[in-house]
Amino acid sequence: MSARLPIAVAVDGSPASDAPLAEALRLAQADNRPLLGVFVLDTGWADYIGNDWQSAAGARQGFLDYIRGQLESQAEAARTQFAAVTRDLPSAHFRVIPGEPLEELCALIARGEAEILVVGPQAFQICGRPSVKTLARDLARRASSLHIV
Amino acid sequence: MTTAKETGFVGKLPGALPGLALLIGTMVVIRLWVEPWMANAVVFGQKGWLIKVTHLNYILLGIIMGMLYRNVLFGGKLPEVFADGFRLSRLFIKTGIILLGSLYTVQAIVKLGALAIFLIGGFVVLSIVMVLWLGKLFGMERSMTGVMANACSICGVSAAVATAPAVEAKAAHVAYAIATILGFGILTMFISPFIGHALGLNDLQYGAWVGTGILNSGQVLAACLAFNPTVAPGTAVSVGEIWNIMRVISIPFAVFAVTVWYWAGHEQPQGQRKSLTTLLVEKFPVFVLGFLGMVLLTSIGAFGDAGIKGGPPASATIKMIRDWMQWIFGIGLVGMGGYIDFKELRQAGGTPLKVGLIVGVTKYVLALVVVLLIRDYLVEI
Repeated sequence: MSARLPIAVAVDGSPASDAPLAEALRLAQADNRPLLGVFVLDTGWADYIGNDWQSAAGARQGFLDYIRGQLESQAEAARTQFAAVTRDLPSAHFRVIPGEPLEELCALIARGEAEILVVGPQAFQICGRPSVKTLARDLARRASSLHIV
Repeated sequence: MTTAKETGFVGKLPGALPGLALLIGTMVVIRLWVEPWMANAVVFGQKGWLIKVTHLNYILLGIIMGMLYRNVLFGGKLPEVFADGFRLSRLFIKTGIILLGSLYTVQAIVKLGALAIFLIGGFVVLSIVMVLWLGKLFGMERSMTGVMANACSICGVSAAVATAPAVEAKAAHVAYAIATILGFGILTMFISPFIGHALGLNDLQYGAWVGTGILNSGQVLAACLAFNPTVAPGTAVSVGEIWNIMRVISIPFAVFAVTVWYWAGHEQPQGQRKSLTTLLVEKFPVFVLGFLGMVLLTSIGAFGDAGIKGGPPASATIKMIRDWMQWIFGIGLVGMGGYIDFKELRQAGGTPLKVGLIVGVTKYVLALVVVLLIRDYLVEI
Protein backbone atom coordinates (compact mmCIF):
# COMPACT_ATOMS: atom_id res chain seq x y z
CA MET A 1 0.00 0.00 0.00
CA SER A 2 1.52 3.32 -1.01
CA ALA A 3 1.82 5.96 1.74
CA ARG A 4 -0.64 8.80 1.51
CA LEU A 5 0.81 12.23 0.81
CA PRO A 6 0.85 14.66 3.73
CA ILE A 7 -1.38 17.60 4.41
CA ALA A 8 0.72 20.74 4.62
CA VAL A 9 -0.24 23.68 6.79
CA ALA A 10 1.29 27.16 6.86
CA VAL A 11 2.18 28.00 10.48
CA ASP A 12 3.66 31.31 11.63
CA GLY A 13 3.62 31.05 15.44
CA SER A 14 0.85 33.64 15.85
CA PRO A 15 -2.78 33.16 16.96
CA ALA A 16 -3.70 33.55 13.26
CA SER A 17 -2.34 30.03 12.72
CA ASP A 18 -4.49 28.40 15.42
CA ALA A 19 -7.54 27.82 13.23
CA PRO A 20 -5.69 26.55 10.13
CA LEU A 21 -3.58 24.28 12.32
CA ALA A 22 -6.64 22.82 14.04
CA GLU A 23 -8.34 22.27 10.68
CA ALA A 24 -5.25 20.63 9.19
CA LEU A 25 -4.98 18.35 12.23
CA ARG A 26 -8.63 17.39 11.92
CA LEU A 27 -8.20 16.59 8.23
CA ALA A 28 -5.01 14.62 8.84
CA GLN A 29 -6.65 12.50 11.56
CA ALA A 30 -9.83 11.97 9.57
CA ASP A 31 -7.95 11.01 6.42
CA ASN A 32 -5.10 9.22 8.19
CA ARG A 33 -2.42 11.34 6.53
CA PRO A 34 0.88 12.72 7.80
CA LEU A 35 0.87 16.39 8.73
CA LEU A 36 3.57 18.78 7.55
CA GLY A 37 3.91 22.18 9.24
CA VAL A 38 5.64 24.80 7.10
CA PHE A 39 7.16 28.17 7.84
CA VAL A 40 8.55 30.10 4.88
CA LEU A 41 11.58 32.19 5.75
CA ASP A 42 10.93 35.10 3.40
CA THR A 43 14.04 35.79 1.29
CA GLY A 44 12.40 38.63 -0.64
CA TRP A 45 13.50 41.38 1.76
CA ALA A 46 16.74 42.24 -0.01
CA ASP A 47 14.82 43.00 -3.18
CA TYR A 48 12.01 44.69 -1.32
CA ILE A 49 14.33 47.32 0.11
CA GLY A 50 16.21 47.36 -3.20
CA ASN A 51 14.33 50.37 -4.55
CA ASP A 52 16.63 52.43 -2.47
CA TRP A 53 20.29 52.73 -3.33
CA GLN A 54 21.57 55.44 -1.02
CA SER A 55 22.62 53.04 1.68
CA ALA A 56 25.26 53.32 4.31
CA ALA A 57 27.85 50.57 4.70
CA GLY A 58 26.17 48.95 7.69
CA ALA A 59 22.58 50.10 7.36
CA ARG A 60 21.22 47.82 4.65
CA GLN A 61 23.05 44.63 5.65
CA GLY A 62 22.46 45.44 9.32
CA PHE A 63 18.76 45.65 8.60
CA LEU A 64 18.71 42.40 6.61
CA ASP A 65 20.50 40.62 9.48
CA TYR A 66 17.98 42.12 11.91
CA ILE A 67 15.02 40.95 9.82
CA ARG A 68 16.55 37.50 9.40
CA GLY A 69 16.87 37.26 13.18
CA GLN A 70 13.20 38.18 13.56
CA LEU A 71 12.12 35.63 10.95
CA GLU A 72 14.19 32.90 12.62
CA SER A 73 12.59 33.68 15.99
CA GLN A 74 9.20 33.54 14.34
CA ALA A 75 10.11 30.21 12.74
CA GLU A 76 10.96 28.87 16.21
CA ALA A 77 7.65 30.15 17.55
CA ALA A 78 5.91 28.41 14.66
CA ARG A 79 7.77 25.16 15.37
CA THR A 80 6.74 25.33 19.04
CA GLN A 81 3.12 26.10 18.11
CA PHE A 82 3.05 23.17 15.69
CA ALA A 83 4.71 20.77 18.15
CA ALA A 84 2.24 21.68 20.90
CA VAL A 85 -0.78 20.94 18.72
CA THR A 86 0.56 17.77 17.10
CA ARG A 87 2.26 16.10 20.08
CA ASP A 88 -0.13 13.12 19.83
CA LEU A 89 0.35 12.73 16.09
CA PRO A 90 3.44 10.61 15.37
CA SER A 91 3.44 11.37 11.63
CA ALA A 92 3.72 15.14 12.09
CA HIS A 93 6.83 17.02 11.20
CA PHE A 94 7.83 20.64 10.67
CA ARG A 95 9.97 22.36 8.06
CA VAL A 96 11.40 25.82 7.60
CA ILE A 97 11.77 26.64 3.91
CA PRO A 98 13.65 29.72 2.67
CA GLY A 99 12.12 31.50 -0.32
CA GLU A 100 9.16 33.50 -1.58
CA PRO A 101 6.09 32.43 0.50
CA LEU A 102 3.68 32.10 -2.43
CA GLU A 103 6.16 30.31 -4.68
CA GLU A 104 7.41 27.94 -1.99
CA LEU A 105 3.93 26.85 -0.91
CA CYS A 106 2.97 26.20 -4.52
CA ALA A 107 6.23 24.34 -5.12
CA LEU A 108 5.53 22.08 -2.16
CA ILE A 109 2.43 20.78 -3.92
CA ALA A 110 4.05 20.81 -7.35
CA ARG A 111 6.94 18.65 -6.09
CA GLY A 112 4.45 16.17 -4.68
CA GLU A 113 5.58 16.68 -1.10
CA ALA A 114 2.02 17.35 0.03
CA GLU A 115 -1.40 16.91 -1.51
CA ILE A 116 -3.51 19.34 0.44
CA LEU A 117 -2.42 22.75 1.66
CA VAL A 118 -4.17 24.52 4.53
CA VAL A 119 -3.51 28.24 4.77
CA GLY A 120 -5.24 30.79 6.96
CA PRO A 121 -6.18 34.20 5.52
CA GLN A 122 -3.52 35.90 7.66
CA ALA A 123 -0.69 33.43 7.16
CA PHE A 124 2.79 34.95 7.71
CA GLN A 125 1.39 38.46 8.09
CA ILE A 126 2.98 38.83 11.50
CA CYS A 127 6.43 38.84 9.94
CA GLY A 128 5.89 39.48 6.27
CA ARG A 129 5.97 42.03 3.54
CA PRO A 130 2.65 43.53 2.37
CA SER A 131 2.44 40.99 -0.47
CA VAL A 132 1.63 38.17 1.99
CA LYS A 133 -1.57 39.98 2.92
CA THR A 134 -3.32 38.20 0.07
CA LEU A 135 -1.31 34.99 0.24
CA ALA A 136 -4.30 32.71 0.81
CA ARG A 137 -6.28 34.38 -1.98
CA ASP A 138 -3.33 34.21 -4.37
CA LEU A 139 -2.83 30.54 -3.59
CA ALA A 140 -6.48 29.84 -4.20
CA ARG A 141 -6.20 31.56 -7.55
CA ARG A 142 -3.11 29.54 -8.49
CA ALA A 143 -4.52 26.13 -7.60
CA SER A 144 -8.20 25.49 -7.31
CA SER A 145 -7.56 22.18 -5.46
CA LEU A 146 -6.07 23.94 -2.45
CA HIS A 147 -7.97 23.67 0.77
CA ILE A 148 -8.16 27.06 2.40
CA VAL A 149 -9.50 27.67 5.89
CA MET B 1 21.41 31.40 -2.49
CA THR B 2 24.38 33.10 -4.09
CA THR B 3 25.02 36.65 -3.06
CA ALA B 4 27.29 39.42 -4.27
CA LYS B 5 29.20 39.13 -0.99
CA GLU B 6 30.03 35.49 -1.59
CA THR B 7 31.14 35.77 -5.21
CA GLY B 8 32.48 39.31 -5.33
CA PHE B 9 31.66 41.95 -7.88
CA VAL B 10 33.73 40.46 -10.74
CA GLY B 11 32.44 36.95 -10.10
CA LYS B 12 28.90 38.22 -10.22
CA LEU B 13 29.31 40.20 -13.41
CA PRO B 14 28.68 37.40 -15.98
CA GLY B 15 25.38 36.55 -14.31
CA ALA B 16 24.40 40.21 -14.42
CA LEU B 17 25.05 40.61 -18.15
CA PRO B 18 21.57 39.62 -19.44
CA GLY B 19 19.86 42.07 -17.07
CA LEU B 20 22.36 44.82 -17.84
CA ALA B 21 21.92 44.19 -21.57
CA LEU B 22 18.16 44.62 -21.16
CA LEU B 23 18.58 47.87 -19.17
CA ILE B 24 21.15 49.34 -21.56
CA GLY B 25 19.23 48.17 -24.64
CA THR B 26 16.04 49.76 -23.30
CA MET B 27 17.75 53.10 -22.73
CA VAL B 28 19.46 53.01 -26.15
CA VAL B 29 16.11 52.41 -27.87
CA ILE B 30 14.43 55.18 -25.85
CA ARG B 31 17.15 57.79 -26.36
CA LEU B 32 18.04 57.05 -29.96
CA TRP B 33 14.63 56.23 -31.41
CA VAL B 34 11.64 56.78 -29.13
CA GLU B 35 12.50 60.27 -27.89
CA PRO B 36 13.44 61.66 -31.33
CA TRP B 37 10.26 60.11 -32.76
CA MET B 38 8.16 61.74 -30.02
CA ALA B 39 9.82 65.08 -30.69
CA ASN B 40 8.96 64.92 -34.39
CA ALA B 41 5.61 63.13 -34.36
CA VAL B 42 2.67 65.32 -35.34
CA VAL B 43 -0.29 64.75 -33.03
CA PHE B 44 -3.45 66.94 -33.13
CA GLY B 45 -1.72 68.94 -35.85
CA GLN B 46 1.15 69.89 -33.55
CA LYS B 47 4.73 68.71 -33.93
CA GLY B 48 6.22 67.41 -30.66
CA TRP B 49 2.81 67.38 -28.92
CA LEU B 50 3.71 64.13 -27.15
CA ILE B 51 6.63 65.78 -25.36
CA LYS B 52 5.14 69.25 -24.86
CA VAL B 53 1.90 68.00 -23.32
CA THR B 54 2.88 64.76 -21.58
CA HIS B 55 6.35 66.04 -20.50
CA LEU B 56 7.62 62.52 -21.12
CA ASN B 57 11.38 62.30 -21.59
CA TYR B 58 13.89 59.44 -21.52
CA ILE B 59 13.93 59.43 -17.71
CA LEU B 60 10.18 58.93 -17.23
CA LEU B 61 10.00 56.58 -20.23
CA GLY B 62 12.83 54.52 -18.72
CA ILE B 63 11.11 54.24 -15.34
CA ILE B 64 7.80 53.35 -17.01
CA MET B 65 9.54 50.65 -19.08
CA GLY B 66 11.15 49.21 -15.93
CA MET B 67 7.75 49.13 -14.24
CA LEU B 68 6.18 47.47 -17.27
CA TYR B 69 8.91 44.84 -17.41
CA ARG B 70 8.33 43.76 -13.83
CA ASN B 71 4.60 44.17 -13.44
CA VAL B 72 3.30 43.34 -16.90
CA LEU B 73 5.85 41.50 -19.04
CA PHE B 74 7.34 39.37 -16.23
CA GLY B 75 4.10 38.99 -14.25
CA GLY B 76 5.23 40.67 -11.02
CA LYS B 77 8.64 39.04 -10.50
CA LEU B 78 11.92 39.65 -12.30
CA PRO B 79 13.12 36.39 -13.90
CA GLU B 80 16.32 35.02 -12.33
CA VAL B 81 18.21 35.59 -15.57
CA PHE B 82 17.64 39.36 -15.34
CA ALA B 83 17.57 39.80 -11.55
CA ASP B 84 21.32 40.30 -10.97
CA GLY B 85 21.55 42.90 -13.74
CA PHE B 86 18.64 44.86 -12.30
CA ARG B 87 20.28 44.68 -8.84
CA LEU B 88 23.43 46.21 -10.31
CA SER B 89 21.42 49.19 -11.55
CA ARG B 90 21.62 50.61 -8.02
CA LEU B 91 25.34 50.86 -8.53
CA PHE B 92 24.72 52.91 -11.68
CA ILE B 93 22.68 55.48 -9.80
CA LYS B 94 25.18 55.66 -6.94
CA THR B 95 27.99 56.15 -9.42
CA GLY B 96 25.95 58.83 -11.16
CA ILE B 97 25.41 60.68 -7.88
CA ILE B 98 29.15 60.60 -7.20
CA LEU B 99 29.81 62.01 -10.68
CA LEU B 100 27.21 64.71 -9.98
CA GLY B 101 29.85 66.20 -7.70
CA SER B 102 31.38 67.57 -10.91
CA LEU B 103 28.50 70.09 -11.11
CA TYR B 104 29.64 71.96 -8.01
CA THR B 105 32.57 73.75 -6.55
CA VAL B 106 33.16 74.09 -2.82
CA GLN B 107 32.18 77.76 -3.05
CA ALA B 108 28.87 76.87 -4.75
CA ILE B 109 28.12 74.23 -2.11
CA VAL B 110 28.79 76.74 0.67
CA LYS B 111 26.55 79.32 -1.06
CA LEU B 112 23.68 76.92 -1.67
CA GLY B 113 24.32 74.70 1.33
CA ALA B 114 23.48 77.25 4.04
CA LEU B 115 19.95 77.73 2.73
CA ALA B 116 19.59 74.00 2.02
CA ILE B 117 20.62 73.11 5.58
CA PHE B 118 18.12 75.62 6.96
CA LEU B 119 15.24 74.40 4.78
CA ILE B 120 16.02 70.69 4.96
CA GLY B 121 16.71 70.81 8.71
CA GLY B 122 13.43 72.61 9.31
CA PHE B 123 11.44 70.12 7.27
CA VAL B 124 13.16 67.09 8.81
CA VAL B 125 12.38 68.28 12.35
CA LEU B 126 8.82 69.28 11.39
CA SER B 127 8.11 65.90 9.79
CA ILE B 128 9.51 63.93 12.72
CA VAL B 129 7.46 65.93 15.24
CA MET B 130 4.34 65.58 13.08
CA VAL B 131 4.66 61.79 12.75
CA LEU B 132 5.32 61.37 16.49
CA TRP B 133 2.21 63.42 17.24
CA LEU B 134 0.04 61.63 14.67
CA GLY B 135 1.35 58.25 15.84
CA LYS B 136 0.16 59.07 19.34
CA LEU B 137 -3.13 60.46 18.05
CA PHE B 138 -3.91 57.35 15.98
CA GLY B 139 -2.62 54.93 18.64
CA MET B 140 0.08 53.57 16.35
CA GLU B 141 2.65 51.27 17.96
CA ARG B 142 5.68 53.15 19.26
CA SER B 143 8.20 51.24 17.15
CA MET B 144 6.08 51.72 14.02
CA THR B 145 5.87 55.45 14.81
CA GLY B 146 9.65 55.62 15.13
CA VAL B 147 10.21 53.98 11.75
CA MET B 148 7.58 56.17 10.07
CA ALA B 149 9.04 59.32 11.65
CA ASN B 150 12.40 58.87 9.96
CA ALA B 151 10.99 57.33 6.79
CA CYS B 152 8.73 60.35 6.23
CA SER B 153 11.30 62.94 7.19
CA ILE B 154 14.65 61.96 5.71
CA CYS B 155 15.20 59.52 2.98
CA GLY B 156 12.45 56.95 2.69
CA VAL B 157 13.67 53.40 2.58
CA SER B 158 17.23 54.10 3.78
CA ALA B 159 15.94 55.85 6.87
CA ALA B 160 13.32 53.18 7.58
CA VAL B 161 15.84 50.34 7.44
CA ALA B 162 18.41 52.33 9.43
CA THR B 163 15.91 53.05 12.21
CA ALA B 164 14.10 49.69 12.43
CA PRO B 165 16.64 47.72 14.52
CA ALA B 166 17.15 50.65 16.92
CA VAL B 167 13.44 50.85 17.79
CA GLU B 168 12.78 47.09 17.70
CA ALA B 169 10.39 47.45 14.78
CA LYS B 170 8.66 44.32 13.58
CA ALA B 171 9.30 43.20 10.02
CA ALA B 172 5.70 43.91 9.06
CA HIS B 173 5.99 47.47 10.41
CA VAL B 174 8.97 48.21 8.21
CA ALA B 175 7.25 46.64 5.22
CA TYR B 176 4.21 48.87 5.60
CA ALA B 177 6.31 51.97 6.13
CA ILE B 178 8.28 51.22 2.95
CA ALA B 179 5.18 50.49 0.89
CA THR B 180 3.62 53.76 2.06
CA ILE B 181 6.56 56.03 1.33
CA LEU B 182 7.39 54.39 -1.98
CA GLY B 183 3.78 54.59 -3.14
CA PHE B 184 3.57 58.26 -2.24
CA GLY B 185 6.99 58.95 -3.75
CA ILE B 186 6.15 57.29 -7.05
CA LEU B 187 3.01 59.38 -7.32
CA THR B 188 4.92 62.62 -6.64
CA MET B 189 7.69 61.58 -9.04
CA PHE B 190 5.19 61.52 -11.90
CA ILE B 191 3.04 64.53 -11.00
CA SER B 192 5.78 66.95 -9.92
CA PRO B 193 7.06 67.76 -13.45
CA PHE B 194 3.48 68.62 -14.51
CA ILE B 195 2.96 70.87 -11.49
CA GLY B 196 6.38 72.47 -11.98
CA HIS B 197 5.69 73.28 -15.63
CA ALA B 198 2.12 74.40 -14.92
CA LEU B 199 3.32 76.84 -12.24
CA GLY B 200 6.13 78.04 -14.46
CA LEU B 201 8.81 77.17 -11.91
CA ASN B 202 12.41 77.59 -12.98
CA ASP B 203 15.06 74.92 -12.35
CA LEU B 204 16.20 76.49 -9.10
CA GLN B 205 12.71 76.72 -7.62
CA TYR B 206 11.70 73.28 -8.86
CA GLY B 207 14.89 71.60 -7.58
CA ALA B 208 14.52 73.25 -4.18
CA TRP B 209 10.86 72.21 -3.94
CA VAL B 210 11.31 68.60 -5.05
CA GLY B 211 14.53 68.19 -3.03
CA THR B 212 12.61 69.24 0.08
CA GLY B 213 9.16 67.78 -0.57
CA ILE B 214 9.76 64.29 -2.00
CA LEU B 215 10.48 61.55 0.49
CA ASN B 216 12.81 59.20 -1.35
CA SER B 217 16.23 60.01 -2.81
CA GLY B 218 15.86 58.02 -6.03
CA GLN B 219 12.55 59.69 -6.65
CA VAL B 220 14.03 63.16 -6.12
CA LEU B 221 16.59 62.37 -8.79
CA ALA B 222 13.95 61.03 -11.19
CA ALA B 223 11.55 63.94 -10.58
CA CYS B 224 14.33 66.47 -11.26
CA LEU B 225 15.51 64.78 -14.44
CA ALA B 226 11.91 64.38 -15.58
CA PHE B 227 11.49 68.16 -15.27
CA ASN B 228 14.74 68.94 -17.07
CA PRO B 229 16.95 66.07 -18.27
CA THR B 230 19.98 68.33 -18.72
CA VAL B 231 22.78 67.58 -16.28
CA ALA B 232 24.66 70.85 -15.76
CA PRO B 233 25.24 73.41 -13.01
CA GLY B 234 22.04 75.28 -12.18
CA THR B 235 19.66 72.68 -13.62
CA ALA B 236 16.90 71.07 -11.54
CA VAL B 237 18.98 67.96 -10.81
CA SER B 238 21.96 69.96 -9.56
CA VAL B 239 19.75 71.89 -7.12
CA GLY B 240 17.51 68.98 -6.07
CA GLU B 241 20.44 66.66 -5.44
CA ILE B 242 22.39 69.06 -3.24
CA TRP B 243 19.22 69.45 -1.19
CA ASN B 244 18.90 65.70 -1.09
CA ILE B 245 22.54 65.15 -0.08
CA MET B 246 22.02 67.51 2.88
CA ARG B 247 19.04 65.43 3.96
CA VAL B 248 20.79 62.08 3.49
CA ILE B 249 23.67 63.26 5.68
CA SER B 250 21.21 63.75 8.52
CA ILE B 251 20.25 60.04 8.65
CA PRO B 252 22.57 59.08 11.56
CA PHE B 253 21.45 62.12 13.58
CA ALA B 254 17.77 61.39 13.01
CA VAL B 255 18.24 57.70 13.88
CA PHE B 256 19.95 58.79 17.11
CA ALA B 257 17.17 61.28 17.98
CA VAL B 258 14.34 58.81 17.31
CA THR B 259 16.17 56.08 19.26
CA VAL B 260 16.47 58.43 22.27
CA TRP B 261 12.73 59.23 21.96
CA TYR B 262 11.82 55.54 21.69
CA TRP B 263 13.78 54.47 24.77
CA ALA B 264 12.94 57.54 26.87
CA GLY B 265 12.05 56.32 30.36
CA HIS B 266 13.09 52.74 29.59
CA GLU B 267 16.35 50.86 30.03
CA GLN B 268 17.72 50.17 26.56
CA PRO B 269 19.25 46.67 26.34
CA GLN B 270 23.04 46.79 26.57
CA GLY B 271 23.71 45.29 23.12
CA GLN B 272 21.42 47.76 21.39
CA ARG B 273 22.88 50.93 22.89
CA LYS B 274 24.76 52.89 20.24
CA SER B 275 26.52 56.20 20.50
CA LEU B 276 26.13 58.91 17.90
CA THR B 277 29.71 58.19 16.76
CA THR B 278 28.91 54.51 16.17
CA LEU B 279 25.76 55.48 14.29
CA LEU B 280 27.74 57.93 12.17
CA VAL B 281 30.17 55.18 11.17
CA GLU B 282 27.44 52.59 10.60
CA LYS B 283 24.75 54.68 8.96
CA PHE B 284 26.64 57.41 7.11
CA PRO B 285 25.95 57.00 3.40
CA VAL B 286 29.32 56.08 1.90
CA PHE B 287 28.57 57.45 -1.57
CA VAL B 288 28.28 60.96 -0.07
CA LEU B 289 32.03 60.80 0.60
CA GLY B 290 32.57 59.99 -3.09
CA PHE B 291 30.33 62.91 -4.03
CA LEU B 292 32.27 65.30 -1.77
CA GLY B 293 35.56 63.98 -3.17
CA MET B 294 34.30 64.75 -6.67
CA VAL B 295 33.33 68.29 -5.58
CA LEU B 296 36.87 68.79 -4.24
CA LEU B 297 38.47 67.51 -7.44
CA THR B 298 36.23 69.77 -9.53
CA SER B 299 37.02 72.75 -7.29
CA ILE B 300 40.78 72.35 -7.75
CA GLY B 301 40.29 72.07 -11.50
CA ALA B 302 41.26 68.40 -11.82
CA PHE B 303 38.89 68.02 -14.77
CA GLY B 304 39.40 71.48 -16.25
CA ASP B 305 36.84 74.26 -16.14
CA ALA B 306 33.60 73.19 -14.45
CA GLY B 307 31.32 75.44 -16.54
CA ILE B 308 29.81 77.13 -13.48
CA LYS B 309 27.53 80.08 -14.37
CA GLY B 310 29.47 83.25 -15.07
CA GLY B 311 32.75 81.34 -15.49
CA PRO B 312 34.50 79.85 -18.54
CA PRO B 313 32.66 77.09 -20.43
CA ALA B 314 32.98 73.47 -19.28
CA SER B 315 36.05 71.54 -20.38
CA ALA B 316 35.79 68.57 -22.75
CA THR B 317 36.35 66.17 -19.79
CA ILE B 318 33.57 67.75 -17.77
CA LYS B 319 31.23 67.65 -20.79
CA MET B 320 32.05 63.97 -21.27
CA ILE B 321 31.36 63.21 -17.59
CA ARG B 322 27.99 64.96 -17.88
CA ASP B 323 27.11 62.98 -21.02
CA TRP B 324 27.94 59.75 -19.19
CA MET B 325 25.79 60.82 -16.28
CA GLN B 326 22.72 61.10 -18.49
CA TRP B 327 23.25 57.53 -19.71
CA ILE B 328 24.14 56.23 -16.26
CA PHE B 329 21.05 57.77 -14.67
CA GLY B 330 18.85 56.66 -17.55
CA ILE B 331 19.98 53.04 -17.29
CA GLY B 332 19.86 53.08 -13.49
CA LEU B 333 16.34 54.46 -13.45
CA VAL B 334 15.05 51.72 -15.79
CA GLY B 335 16.39 49.39 -13.10
CA MET B 336 14.67 51.41 -10.39
CA GLY B 337 11.38 51.10 -12.31
CA GLY B 338 11.97 47.36 -12.37
CA TYR B 339 11.94 47.33 -8.59
CA ILE B 340 8.57 49.07 -8.32
CA ASP B 341 6.20 46.25 -7.47
CA PHE B 342 2.55 47.24 -7.88
CA LYS B 343 1.46 44.23 -5.83
CA GLU B 344 3.48 45.32 -2.78
CA LEU B 345 2.40 48.96 -3.11
CA ARG B 346 -1.29 48.11 -3.52
CA GLN B 347 -1.28 46.31 -0.22
CA ALA B 348 -0.04 49.21 1.87
CA GLY B 349 -2.76 50.36 4.18
CA GLY B 350 -4.06 51.02 7.66
CA THR B 351 -2.74 53.66 10.02
CA PRO B 352 0.79 53.84 8.50
CA LEU B 353 -0.75 54.78 5.15
CA LYS B 354 -2.93 57.42 6.80
CA VAL B 355 0.00 58.94 8.70
CA GLY B 356 2.33 58.69 5.70
CA LEU B 357 -0.16 60.42 3.42
CA ILE B 358 -0.95 63.22 5.87
CA VAL B 359 2.73 63.97 6.52
CA GLY B 360 3.80 63.40 2.92
CA VAL B 361 1.15 65.68 1.42
CA THR B 362 1.73 68.36 4.08
CA LYS B 363 5.45 68.32 3.43
CA TYR B 364 5.02 68.30 -0.36
CA VAL B 365 2.59 71.23 -0.40
CA LEU B 366 4.31 73.21 2.35
CA ALA B 367 7.68 72.86 0.61
CA LEU B 368 6.16 74.34 -2.56
CA VAL B 369 4.61 77.22 -0.63
CA VAL B 370 7.88 77.95 1.20
CA VAL B 371 9.93 77.82 -2.01
CA LEU B 372 7.50 80.21 -3.71
CA LEU B 373 7.65 82.55 -0.71
CA ILE B 374 11.45 82.63 -0.60
CA ARG B 375 12.06 82.43 -4.36
CA ASP B 376 13.87 85.78 -4.36
CA TYR B 377 16.32 84.51 -1.74
CA LEU B 378 17.18 81.22 -3.46
CA VAL B 379 20.85 81.23 -4.43
CA GLU B 380 21.73 80.36 -8.01
CA ILE B 381 24.84 78.30 -8.70
